[in-house]
This record gives sequence, structure tokens and C-alpha cells, in this order.
Amino acid sequence: MNVGFIGLGRMGKGMASRILSGGHDLVVYDVVPQATAEFAQSGARVASSVADVCKDREVVITMLAEDFAVHEVAFGSGGMCASLPPGAIHMAMGTYGIATIRALETAHAGANQILLAVPVLGRPDLAATGQLGIVPAGPEEALKRCEPLFQVIARRVFHAGPKPESASAIKLANNAVLGCAITAMGEAFSLIRKYGVEPQVLYDVMSEGLFAGAPAYVGYGKTMVDETYDKVGSPVTIGLKDANLIAAAANIARVPMPSHDVYIERLLGAMANGDGDRDQAVLAREQARASGLE
Amino acid sequence: MKVGFVGLGRMGQAIAGRILGAGHDLVVFNRTAEKASELAKAGARVASSVAGACEGREVVITMLTDDAALREVTLNPGGLRDSISAGAIHLTMGTHSAGAIQELAAVHARANQVLAAAPVLGRPDMAASGQLGIVAAGPADALQKCEPLFQVMGRRTFHAGAKPEHSIAIKLANNFLLGCAIGSMAEGFSLVRKYGVVPQVFYEVMTESLFAAPAYKVYGKIMVDESYDKVGFTTLLGLKDFNLIMAAADMARVPLPSGNAFRDRLLGAVAHGNGEKDWSVAAREQARASGLE
Repeated sequence: MNVGFIGLGRMGKGMASRILSGGHDLVVYDVVPQATAEFAQSGARVASSVADVCKDREVVITMLAEDFAVHEVAFGSGGMCASLPPGAIHMAMGTYGIATIRALETAHAGANQILLAVPVLGRPDLAATGQLGIVPAGPEEALKRCEPLFQVIARRVFHAGPKPESASAIKLANNAVLGCAITAMGEAFSLIRKYGVEPQVLYDVMSEGLFAGAPAYVGYGKTMVDETYDKVGSPVTIGLKDANLIAAAANIARVPMPSHDVYIERLLGAMANGDGDRDQAVLAREQARASGLE
Repeated sequence: MKVGFVGLGRMGQAIAGRILGAGHDLVVFNRTAEKASELAKAGARVASSVAGACEGREVVITMLTDDAALREVTLNPGGLRDSISAGAIHLTMGTHSAGAIQELAAVHARANQVLAAAPVLGRPDMAASGQLGIVAAGPADALQKCEPLFQVMGRRTFHAGAKPEHSIAIKLANNFLLGCAIGSMAEGFSLVRKYGVVPQVFYEVMTESLFAAPAYKVYGKIMVDESYDKVGFTTLLGLKDFNLIMAAADMARVPLPSGNAFRDRLLGAVAHGNGEKDWSVAAREQARASGLE
């Protein structure tokens, strides 16, 4: 396929190289020119602008960190809406908000283009080896055209439905459940510490019992026991960015999410106390602080 | 060992059966005598009173549903305090409040007896096959004496510390995490449903990645199927546990905002007549709050 790729951060790099090694014709673009260097060497064409990356492409993928970045890339002058050929697909793979997805869908439809939302589950190492989970949603015919790309990017494809926002909702809800699990673990560790129990005991009970096999508990729980908050997987700042997208999605759909509200409060408290760049497991410290333990 | 056993509900019967099966000398007591009949057939002696189940015993196990029953059996005239020998052990295996356990530990200490607490993790079928998790806490020498019993009851013993309430804190914290997992899943399902997603898809996303654990697989499935009438653990029992959790948090001065949110969902579910349904019916309560029911 003729594929364009915008956004070569840690995730984007891995995914784009899977597409290239899958034998597709790839054009890449990033606002940071150094990010494209390795792709030029391995046979991709490096575009000089968004308009350039869209030229003659059947699909252009965006993997951007923030909603405002995808807004700019899509709606700016010389952006995707102005540059994608008719019938071409914008495959939005970043974690974007519902309002952004709706705006993109409408604008692309107006330009006779198609939006697919295909958020991903997994870390950069899984992206590089094609082991991601992906959650595609959008018009069926467009999804079918993209199937060869899904195959090289992902280990598992979860089809969410014909509306792009359905995929965003799943990705956001999954993050919400994770945030709540981190928050609840923080609360539980504070409770047992106040009774004089070693945190390792609760970790053993949960990770060998009801929560065995769940990376959310096994991973974040371990970080809380060891208090290794400086080894950062996903920092508090990113957690808060996503949590705000979740809260906005809940607001649009009129869904009260009290547990998730608690998570937002803990994230804010962690940032207020200078832990914004630490791993999200540091919410356990924030909870400990609230409990008079720190 | 010479063991007494008070409280033969479903869990109690199964645990007592394991102890008897391992060849220990067992005397049992239950207020409703019929519940002792199976064990009697298998060779247990059936006492006619709490005192009878305590006489000459090295350890008396209580497996009772709430604090009130535990206090009654322990403190009433002819109860464990009056009846177990000096140096003997009262081993509580029910899920009790931290406050009640602290109080009874002091009572037994004054009577020169020992309290140990070993709440269990698992269902009656796991108890019957000796597959429970056991969270044990109390004085080290008492726990050592009970070790042969733990071995026949459980697959794994977690040692929580030297004070009986240590194991209570762990048991309550584990139940707390489960409740919060149910509450947050419920929120997730309501959110995706409002965006037109088939719940099964969200279930697969969760349980095939970050949440590939029994808590999410079991309760998530009930939410997808809305099979709340197949009851594992009722909403009312969940509410009872969350009240114990919040009381323990209150005593220790630990704010538990996630616990408050979930307790309110349970209360709402009870208010809407779902007290006897499985406690994952909290998802329906969440859906109602979201205008979905």
C-alpha cells in the first residue's frame, strides 16, 4: 500500500518500521527532522511537509501525542484535509479526545476523505515487534482496506464498530480502569501500612490471587512496594492528560465516573507536590501523604 | 492436634472437613445442630455448647459471619473466654472488623489465652479441596502451633505479622481492591456503552491486556452477560465488607476516596432492590446513574 506516516515518536517509530519492513511504500514526516533520519536510510521517503506526506497516499497515519498536534496537522493550511486525495484514509492512532475525533470525522467527510480511529494498546517495545493490540473503528470498507497494515502492526485486533469514536471510547475507558486500579492500590497500601503490615504481604496476596496475571497490578504494585518512582514508564503528566480526555468523554456522554474523579484528584495532588515527572505509581505516595504517612 | 470448631456455615463445614480428614481430633459446635451432621458421620464429636467445643482443646477455630456472632460466642457466659484453657489459642477465620479483633485480643490476653486471626481467601469449593489462601497473624509461637492446620486448609499461607489485626488489614485491603476493580469496570462499561460499543469488545480489550486476572475476567463477564442472579457474593455482603473497610480506615485515619465511591454504588444498588444479587450489579447501578437503564 501507499502509506504516509506523521509522528515518529517512540511509538510511531516502531509502528512505521513495521509497515516499511512489511513491504509497503512508506513516506514519513515529523516536525523534528532528526526523527526521520533512520527511515531515509532504510528506504522510506522523507517528506518535507504534511502536504507532501499526503500526496498520492491511500492511507496516512497520525501518531501524535496531543490533540492540538493532530488539529494542526489536519486543519492547518496545507494540512491533511486540504492535501489527502479523495477517498483516502486518515488513520488516527494516537489517543485523542472524543471531540477531536468527531471534528476530524466531519472535516474529512466534507473533503470526501475517510477517518478511522485506531488507538493502540502497548508500549514502544511491543510496537517495534508488531505485538501491539489495536482497536479500530470506522466505515467497514475502509477498515478492510487497512487490514494489511493491521497485520504488520498488531498481534490482536479488537473491532469496535463503524463509528470512529467507539474506538476512542474503548481506549479511554481502558485507561480509566487502569487509573482507578493504581489509585485503589495506593489506598490499599496506605491502609495496611497504617496497621503496621509490610507492603510486600499485600503485594503477594493480590498478585498471587484475584489479580494474578494482570500487568496493571503486578507492575504498578511492584513499583509501589519498591518505591522506585523514578523509573518512569508512564509519568503523572501523561496520566493527567489522558485523564482529562476521559473526563471530557464522560462529560460529553453524560456518564458520572466517581472513581475516575478520585484518580484525577490524586494526579493533581502528585503534580502539586512536585511528582509530575515520576511514574504514575507515585500516586501511592500521594495517598500516603493524604494519610499522614509521609 | 486437639481442635474445636465453632461456626459451620458453608466455609466452616468445608474447612472443618479438611481438618478432620487430616486426622486431627475434632469437636464441632454450631447453633443450628443439623449443620454438624455430615461432620459427625465423618467422625467428629459434636458438642452441645460452645463450652463443650472448647474443653481440652489446644486450638478453637471460629468461622462466623459477623462481629456480633464473634463477640457473642467469645464473651457470653460459657463462651470462649470462659471455656478455653490457659495458653490455648482462639483462631478467628471469619472476616471481622479490626476493632473487634483488637478488642478480643486484649480480652484473651487478660485471660492468659491467645488470639490469632487467619481470614481466608477463596470460595467454599476451594475450602473443601484445601486450596484456600490463608492470611495469618498473631504471636509467632501461636502461628507455629497452628501451622499443621494451615497446611491442610490452604494452598498458601501469607504471614501478615505479629498482631492479629495485621491479617484483618490485609484481608480487608484485598476485598477493597476487588470492590474498586468492580466499581471502575462498571464506570468503563457505562462509558463505552454510551459511545455505541458492544460491551464484549471492551471486556476483551481489558482481559487480554492490562487486566488479565480473575477479578476482571470473572466480574467483567457477569457484567457483559448481566447475569447478576447467579450470585457469587451478594451486594449486601459486599456492603458489609465495605463498611468494615471504611471503619478500619477510619480507625487508622486513612482517607479512602475510591472506597467511598464504591460503597455509595453498593448502597444505591441495595436502595434499588438489588441487595441479594451479585455485587457486580454495581454495574447496573452505574448504568442507571448514567441514564442507561
